[in-house]
Amino acid sequence: MTRRELLGVLGGAVAARAKEPPAAPVAIGKAAGYDGDLTGALGRLFDQLGGLGRLVKGKTVTLKLNLTGSPALRFQGRPLGATHYVHPRVVGAVVHLMGQAGARRVRLVESCWASGGPLEEYLLDSGWPVRALAAAAAAVEFENTNNLGKSRRYARFKTPPGAWIFPAYDLNQAYLETDVFVSLAKLKNHATCGVTLSLKNCFGITPASIYGDDAGREEPNENPSKGRAEVLHFGRRGPSRSAPQELDPGSSRADGYRVPRITAELAAARPIDLAVIDGIQTVTGGEGPWIRGLKFVEPGLLIAGWNPVSTDAVAMAVMGYDPQAGRGVPPFRGCDNTLKLAEALGVGSADLARIEVRGLGIEQARFPFPV
Amino acid sequence: MLPALLLVGAAAWVPARWGSTDPKTLELLRGTPVNCLLVEQASPEFAAEAAGRGLAVLLAARAGEAPEAVARRAAELRLAGVVLEGAFQPAAIEQARRLLEQAGLTLIELPPRALLRLEGGGPVVGTTQGLWPGIRVFEDGAVHAAPTGGPWVETNTGFLRYVRAASEAAIWMGNRPPPKAIFPVERYLAAIADAAIAGARWVVALDEDFQGRLYARQAKALAAWARIAAHLRFYEDHGEWRSWKPAGRLALIQDEHSGALLSGGVLDMIAVKHAPVRPVPRRLLSGEALRGARVAVNVDPAALSDQQKEILRGFTRGGGVLLSGPPGWKFPMPEGDRITLEDKDLERLNEIWREVNSLVGRRNLGARLFNVSGMLSNLVAAPDGKRAVLHLVNFTSQPAENITVHLAGGVGRVRLLSPEEPERELAPYGIEEGAAVEIERVCSCAALLLDWKQ
Repeated sequence: MTRRELLGVLGGAVAARAKEPPAAPVAIGKAAGYDGDLTGALGRLFDQLGGLGRLVKGKTVTLKLNLTGSPALRFQGRPLGATHYVHPRVVGAVVHLMGQAGARRVRLVESCWASGGPLEEYLLDSGWPVRALAAAAAAVEFENTNNLGKSRRYARFKTPPGAWIFPAYDLNQAYLETDVFVSLAKLKNHATCGVTLSLKNCFGITPASIYGDDAGREEPNENPSKGRAEVLHFGRRGPSRSAPQELDPGSSRADGYRVPRITAELAAARPIDLAVIDGIQTVTGGEGPWIRGLKFVEPGLLIAGWNPVSTDAVAMAVMGYDPQAGRGVPPFRGCDNTLKLAEALGVGSADLARIEVRGLGIEQARFPFPV
Repeated sequence: MLPALLLVGAAAWVPARWGSTDPKTLELLRGTPVNCLLVEQASPEFAAEAAGRGLAVLLAARAGEAPEAVARRAAELRLAGVVLEGAFQPAAIEQARRLLEQAGLTLIELPPRALLRLEGGGPVVGTTQGLWPGIRVFEDGAVHAAPTGGPWVETNTGFLRYVRAASEAAIWMGNRPPPKAIFPVERYLAAIADAAIAGARWVVALDEDFQGRLYARQAKALAAWARIAAHLRFYEDHGEWRSWKPAGRLALIQDEHSGALLSGGVLDMIAVKHAPVRPVPRRLLSGEALRGARVAVNVDPAALSDQQKEILRGFTRGGGVLLSGPPGWKFPMPEGDRITLEDKDLERLNEIWREVNSLVGRRNLGARLFNVSGMLSNLVAAPDGKRAVLHLVNFTSQPAENITVHLAGGVGRVRLLSPEEPERELAPYGIEEGAAVEIERVCSCAALLLDWKQ
C-alpha cells in the first residue's frame, strides 16, 4: 500500500467516523409505581448521565408531553397516566428537578388532541394536578402547540438534506424560544410506527391548525378540532399553503412510510436535547385505547438519555426488540424503522454497540413487549 | 289505612315495583324510603300488611288489560290506586278514573312518551319508555392509529329535564329491566341518580334474578338492596333539590314536536358535553324563563308565535346571543318503541354540537367541569338564588377521580355530599371566572352544594 493509498484509506475512515451519527449514554432505573420517590429515581438517572445543571442552568426548558388521543378515552377505566399518557407524577418530578438544577423557566407543551384551548384545561380534563405542576418549579408555563397559542406567528424549522416528505415544518414558537428541548415520552407500542418513544412523541409537535384534517387551505385554522391523519398520515391533502408543501407529492401515501419519515425529519429539524421515557406503567400492543388488543403492563422502568435515537434504541432493546430491525420485522411489521431513518439524518445512533448504558443493564431491565 | 296514605300524597310517593305477593317480603322495605309499591297482583293479606306498614299499593294494568276491571279489583282490595302502563283508549282511561275517584283512589298513567300529558294531568307524570343508563362507546375501527370520540352516556336525563321544565307534577321514570337481564347493582344506582338529578324518580324495578335472591334474603342481594336504599334516601333526604330550577346560562328552546321527548337528542348532547343548559319549553318561553341566560338555542324557529319572536328579540337586545337552528335541527316525536335518534341522525347531532360549541366556546355558563368523561352533571339553583347544587353521576365502572369544577361566580361554602360517604367540606380557590374546586373522588353519584357569595 502506498502512502497515498494509506492516507486515502485513513482519510476515508476519518470521514466515515465524522459522518457517524452521535451516540450518547442512556440511563435505566427502576420505579415500582407512581406513588414512590420519583424525584429521587429520576434524579439518580440524570446524575448517572452527568447531571442536569450543565444543560438547564439559567435556561428555558421546554418539555414535550406525551398525551396521545382524547382524554375522554380511557383504557379499562384506568387513569390516563397509567396507560398511554406520560404520568403527571413523572412530569411533576422532572419539572421539579429542572427547577432544582437552575432552569430559569420550564414550559410544558403538547399539541392537544383536537383542541386549540389552553393546555391547562386539557390537563385538567386528563385529571392532572395543574396547580401542583405549576408550583413544582419557580416559573412553570403551559402552552398548547396545536395552534399559535400565545404567539403571533409560527416558527419555521428546516429539515436537513436527505429529508423525504417536507423541506420544513411550521411549528408553534415555543419550539423555537427554548434553550433546551425535552421529549417526555411513554414506553409503548404504536400501531403505525411500531414503537412510541421519545422520537415518535415529537410527531405531536406539529400543529393541527396547519397539519390537521380541518386545517385551513390557505392559512392555519386556529380552532382545530381534528387529528392529523389526512395531511401527515396519508397525505391526502397538503398542509395549509402558508406552510412548506411536500417535497414529492408522488411519493408513497402509506402511513407506514410517511409517519416514520416525518417523525425522523422533525427530530432533525427540532433537535431533542434530553429524552425521558416513562415505562413504570403502560400498555402493550398500541398507542391508545382505540387500538384493539391493548394490554396493561407494569415494567417499572424509567429511561433517560441525551440523544433521542440512542435512548429509543436502548428502550427498544429493553422491550425485547432489535433497534436496527428493518421493515417487516417486529415491531416494524408494516412500517419503516423511525430510529434508522433518524440515524440517516444524523440525529443519533441506534447502534447498541456504540451506546453506553448506565444504571440498570438492558438484560436486567428487559421487559418483553409483544412481537 | 287510606287516610295515612293520603297524608303522604302521590307526589311524595317513592315507587318500586314489587314482584312478590308474600306479605313477609314487605319487611325488606323497613328502613328504606320506598313507600309505594306497583304490583301486578295482590292478595287481601298482602294489601293489609302493606297498609299496616304505611305503604301505598298500586295495581298495575298493562296495555291490553281492561282498566276498569283493574280499577274495580284495586278498590275491592282497598289499595291506593291503579297505574296504567302503556297506551290505552282514552274512553277506557276516563271510565277507570271515574270509578277510582268514586272510591277515593288514585290513577297514575305511565303512557308511551308520545302520549304524555304534560299539562293538567294527574299528580304524577311519567312513562315506561326509558333507556338503561350507562356508557356506550363509539368505535371507529376504520381509522388506523387514530383516536376516536369519547364515551356517550345512555341517559334519560334530557327527556326528564324537559318534562321537569314543562310540568309541575311529580315525575316517574318507569322503565323495567330488559327480559333476562342480570344487572350489577351499579346499574340500578345509575338509574336512580339518572332520574334524580333531573328532578324525577326512577320506579325501582329489579331484574328477576335479583328479585329472587332478594326475596330469599341472600346476603349479596341484601347488601345490594341496602345500597339501592341508600341512594334513594340520599335524594329523598334532599327532596327540595327536585324543585330547584336549572341554573345554566344556556337556554334550549324546544318542544315535544321538535325532539324534546327523545333520548340522545339535542339536550342530552349538550349535557354530555357538560355545558349547563336549561330547557325552555316553547309554550313557556318568556322573559322570565330566559332571565340570567347568556346564550339561547332555538331548535325550531318556524314554530314561534309573533309574541315569542318578540321575546327573543328582547333577549338579543339585552345582550343575549341567539342561535336559531335550521330545519334540520328539528327531530320527530318518539314513535312506537323508538325513543332515541337513529344512527343516521348522529352526524346531524354532531353538527349541532359544533355550531353550539362555536357559539359557546370556552365561556363558563354556570360551571365548567374537567375530567368528567363518562359522567353527567346538572346545575340547579334554589329559588332564593343563594344556593345551588351541581349534581354529578358517574356511569363508569370505576370511581371518577381528580375532577375540577370552575364555577362562574364566587362561592362561600362548598360541600360534597354523596350517598355512601361522609359529607366533605371543599376548599374553593379563586380563578378568573369565579371560583374553582377540586373533587378527589366520586363513586356512583354526588352533589356539590354551593353557597354563592352574594
